[in-house]
Amino acid sequence: MSTVDAAPKPPLFRAAVRHPAVVPVGAVLVAVLIGAVIMVASGIDPVRAYTGVVEGALATDNLDYTLSVFGLILGMAIVFAIPLRMGEYNLGGNGQLVLGGITAAAVGLYAPLPCALLVVAAVLAGAVAAGLFAAISAPLSERLGIPVIISTLLLSPIAVAFGSYLVRFRMTDTGSGVSQTPRLPDAAHLGTLGDLRYANVGLVLVLLVLVVFWLVDSRTAVGFELRTLGANRRFGAYGGVHIGRLNLGAMAAAGAVAGVVGAVMVLSPPYRFIDGALTAPGYTFAGVAAALLAGGRPLLLPLTVAVFTILQVGGAGMERDADVPRQLSEVLQAVVIIVLALRTVVEARRARTGRATT
Amino acid sequence: MNVLEWSFVAAVLMAATPVLLAALGGALCAQAGVFNIALEGQMLWGAFAAVVGSHYSGSAWVGVLIALVSTAAFSAILAVGSARWAADPIIVAIGVNLLAVGLTGFGIRVLFDVSGTFSPPDLQGLHRMTFLDGVPVVGDVLARQSPLVPLAIVLALALAYWLSRSATGLRLRGVGEHPEAAGSLGVDVTAYRTTVVLAAGALCGLAGAQLALGNVTVFTENMTAGRGWIAVAAVMLAASRPAWVLVACVGFGAAEAFGFRLQGVGAPQQLADAAPYIVTLLVLVATRLRWLRRTREVAV
Amino acid sequence: MTTPAVELVGIGKRFGAVVANDGVDLTLRRGSVHAVMGENGAGKSTLMSILYGLYRPDTGHILRDGRRVEFASPLDAIAERLGMVHQHFKLFDSMTVAENVVLGQEPRRSGRLRRSLLDRAAASARVTELAGRYGLAVDPGARVGTLPAGARQRVEILKALHREAEVLILDEPTAVLTPGEVRSLFAVIRRAADDGATVVLVTHKIHEVLDVSDEVTVLRDGVVTAHVRTADTTAAALVTAMTGRDVVPAQNTGRGEPGEPVLEVEHLAVSDGERTLVGDVSLTVRRGEIVGIAGVSGNGQHDLVATLLGTHRAAAGSIRIAGVDVTDASVRERRALGVAAIPEDRRGEGTAITMSVAENLALGHHRTPPIGASSGRRRGLLSGRAMRARAQELIADFDIRTASEQLPVGSLSGGNAQKLVVARELAHEAPLLIAEQPTQGVDIGAIEAIHRRLIGYRDDGHGVLLVSHEISELLALADRILVMLGGRVVAEFARSDATPENIGAAMSGADQAVRA
Repeated sequence: MSTVDAAPKPPLFRAAVRHPAVVPVGAVLVAVLIGAVIMVASGIDPVRAYTGVVEGALATDNLDYTLSVFGLILGMAIVFAIPLRMGEYNLGGNGQLVLGGITAAAVGLYAPLPCALLVVAAVLAGAVAAGLFAAISAPLSERLGIPVIISTLLLSPIAVAFGSYLVRFRMTDTGSGVSQTPRLPDAAHLGTLGDLRYANVGLVLVLLVLVVFWLVDSRTAVGFELRTLGANRRFGAYGGVHIGRLNLGAMAAAGAVAGVVGAVMVLSPPYRFIDGALTAPGYTFAGVAAALLAGGRPLLLPLTVAVFTILQVGGAGMERDADVPRQLSEVLQAVVIIVLALRTVVEARRARTGRATT
Repeated sequence: MNVLEWSFVAAVLMAATPVLLAALGGALCAQAGVFNIALEGQMLWGAFAAVVGSHYSGSAWVGVLIALVSTAAFSAILAVGSARWAADPIIVAIGVNLLAVGLTGFGIRVLFDVSGTFSPPDLQGLHRMTFLDGVPVVGDVLARQSPLVPLAIVLALALAYWLSRSATGLRLRGVGEHPEAAGSLGVDVTAYRTTVVLAAGALCGLAGAQLALGNVTVFTENMTAGRGWIAVAAVMLAASRPAWVLVACVGFGAAEAFGFRLQGVGAPQQLADAAPYIVTLLVLVATRLRWLRRTREVAV
Repeated sequence: MTTPAVELVGIGKRFGAVVANDGVDLTLRRGSVHAVMGENGAGKSTLMSILYGLYRPDTGHILRDGRRVEFASPLDAIAERLGMVHQHFKLFDSMTVAENVVLGQEPRRSGRLRRSLLDRAAASARVTELAGRYGLAVDPGARVGTLPAGARQRVEILKALHREAEVLILDEPTAVLTPGEVRSLFAVIRRAADDGATVVLVTHKIHEVLDVSDEVTVLRDGVVTAHVRTADTTAAALVTAMTGRDVVPAQNTGRGEPGEPVLEVEHLAVSDGERTLVGDVSLTVRRGEIVGIAGVSGNGQHDLVATLLGTHRAAAGSIRIAGVDVTDASVRERRALGVAAIPEDRRGEGTAITMSVAENLALGHHRTPPIGASSGRRRGLLSGRAMRARAQELIADFDIRTASEQLPVGSLSGGNAQKLVVARELAHEAPLLIAEQPTQGVDIGAIEAIHRRLIGYRDDGHGVLLVSHEISELLALADRILVMLGGRVVAEFARSDATPENIGAAMSGADQAVRA
């Protein structure tokens, strides 16, 4: 087969278009535009609303709170991103989060341990419980052919119901009429960062997890194998990758991170496990959106998580300042994901021009 | 507690119907080779549209019609994205599910200025088939149900017959089994896939309408509460065959109705919440174990 | 002179930078068998796809009975009474023969309500009628998934006949047939042509062209290099037209003494739960020899090698690699003991096209120095620098044409991607190399390079198990040749005894006397 030279393009332009940041930025811009259209259609001034978002999230008074939410969403983004590296979708973050939280609460309330040890034990217990729970999906997928996306979704409400049962009937704070545990002892409180009110040691913990994830992903054989499976599972199997073990490890790690996030939420003010309080803010799916936007790449996660944190926290500001329902943040998250998925159109068109066949 | 009475059968059918309608849509898609996991979000949209339609028109049937049409339109995102533009259907569906949660929550805030639950006192629900009162057995089971309940069962059987016997059903199965081959025979794969995803949207619209205007008369944020995922599991269990989807969904309905009865005798509500998922998972595992025993070839 | 059934005039087609067809003319006369020849990549498939409406030509046009026609899709081609039997069958395994044949143009039941229903009786009758007319033996009620390759091909031909095709395009129809099935296919082709049909036979096998065709058109690099009446040409002339030179296949000259065994397989059986894919296979590969496995595609060769590598499980029997029993071992354990493998499916199994050349070259080497570390403080870590350095070495050594080791494998040509797979696997220096169809779909230059490498690898004292569907490749490379049929080894030949004839006979089951 003979070839002729392709029309040359300026390399700088090509490099710019192919840069991994182009797609996420484009998706966010399109989502912001669509959000504006929805607001105009609902009789809302988009400029005021978006100003409300940014101010709500980034005003100096709010930065502390924004930072703490950033940590939690980043954690949940890692929960989704780890299995995503090998092409699996972990949508059971809510159940894993709740199981981690309730376990940490139980340890914090009942374990007879001295101060420093108690916090550590509570976080570890949350991680282990949620990790073991999430790991169930691996054999279900590898041995029984039940996709991880299905099993995590079916397992999640079971764990949420279990947590809810425990806090309602077994660990309930009898004094208050609310479904919540008693306040954890001081020994079980996470350390603070300087005089910040919201962001605490939990944020540092999640950032550490991110660094570990990045190192494993880029510098180890296991990370290489995960990425290989994500690119072509049969290629990995043929090359000697233990798919079952990796899937187990990835799901356990993802669950453990969710457990850590759950523990962090319970070991922070108001230092209780409150029924529904862990899942209500929607950090799980904000994390999913951020992880998809970053393609699971660890170094892009902080950026995409920042975007969704601003949307999430700023949503409240938007509601207050511009009377825009907070749910618009969810709409924008969803639009980002959809736009991202539809980018294949552009890529397919690009591939078609360069395709060779016989 | 007595489960051996007709009212229990009625409760089973009521719980099963929304899931069945959505699962039939999922089964159609699977037969055409589309993995549709947007059922949850589309059902939620259907419930929202049904309540909005019924509220503004004062007629539950207008609500059903609006749910049907608007959910089909809503499913165009998945239809165009995955069938026409070859986007990853899983990622599109995750987006669609999230979009439904956001848009419906946003919608009741903007339209009615309420948060969480919208249940105006004059909201029209679907009529019960009270004319069946007094008919033995049939009346006991169906008199307190909306007409969508028997419709769903008839639809399941009709779809099973249509898939196996009609020329279009044959082509649809061909599209799912070997799209390239179907295309080479002049079957328009994209059109078939687009159509089934839209049809699944319409069925999810019906499912949502049954949920919000049949089972109850209210719209609550996230009221589908995972039923769309149970529907996806039912499609897997039934290997996409509509008649077996019916069986799987009745099984799910039984789990939910049984959970409610348990609650009636003092068991915690959380057990009722978890029961359908536990049962679905266990049955899924059991059928897969049998399947595994039959095929020994396991990739390492 | 009558108007030709179909004329392709000045057809040109390019894909990006690749010119697949350049000013191709092809004239198909009614009632004749016209062979279209060329090597892989010569542009045959593109030309046929244009004729069948799968691609639109950039230049040129198509005449049907002298009328100018435009095919926007295969539907238009079918409407003009063209039919195509694809090289890879496009069949619905779960459906019956009759359903496969009529799908898309189904006989319907009568009556207003029942008009949308399929008339199964009429469909069966139609299949029986067509099968009788052309001598194609099939059972209309059989599930297609259970049929052997020959019968599946007959279903494909029936599909075209059901649509009343007058021009029948057969794309590499004999690739999956036994010699006996080839003979009956050619009888059907002759009968159809004598009946007034026009048959296009796309192939790269010269003896088939000489056997059955009336006219030949040869393509090379997208252009026509010969158009002759079959009666007026010779095999040598066709080879020259196809390759542009006289081919001297890499010959396996000389051999050392085979050393100790590196692979011992005893009574191996593989099953998919319903059917036996491999039954009671025993074989040995020693250091310093190339053992060939001949057979028509789909006779258990792929399942055998997948089980040897460990991606499939054995149902019975035992496998020893370098003297160690590995019957229940994982792929990684087997590779560590000393197996490397060149898989048949390069895109699906041999590479990850979205990953870089360097990463593709690293898989399997990533837990051993210099890229990884199998023990010590750095165990489990990976050196990106070593990965790139190793890739650059292999790229130079194996002449893999790529601008950078950082580019995705998807950007390489088929031949270069295959060289990458060969480079990666040979670099293991494993005592046993399993090579499955190592030169499938690559150009002549790459074929020669890969053949030289395999012989060199053998000469360095390694054992090679070579699976190929090309008898000529086996004769050129193998020291011994085993023949598989229906999942079993049915014959074994020393190189000195092997001829295309006796291997072909064993492949078809015609020769049951020479049992291994």
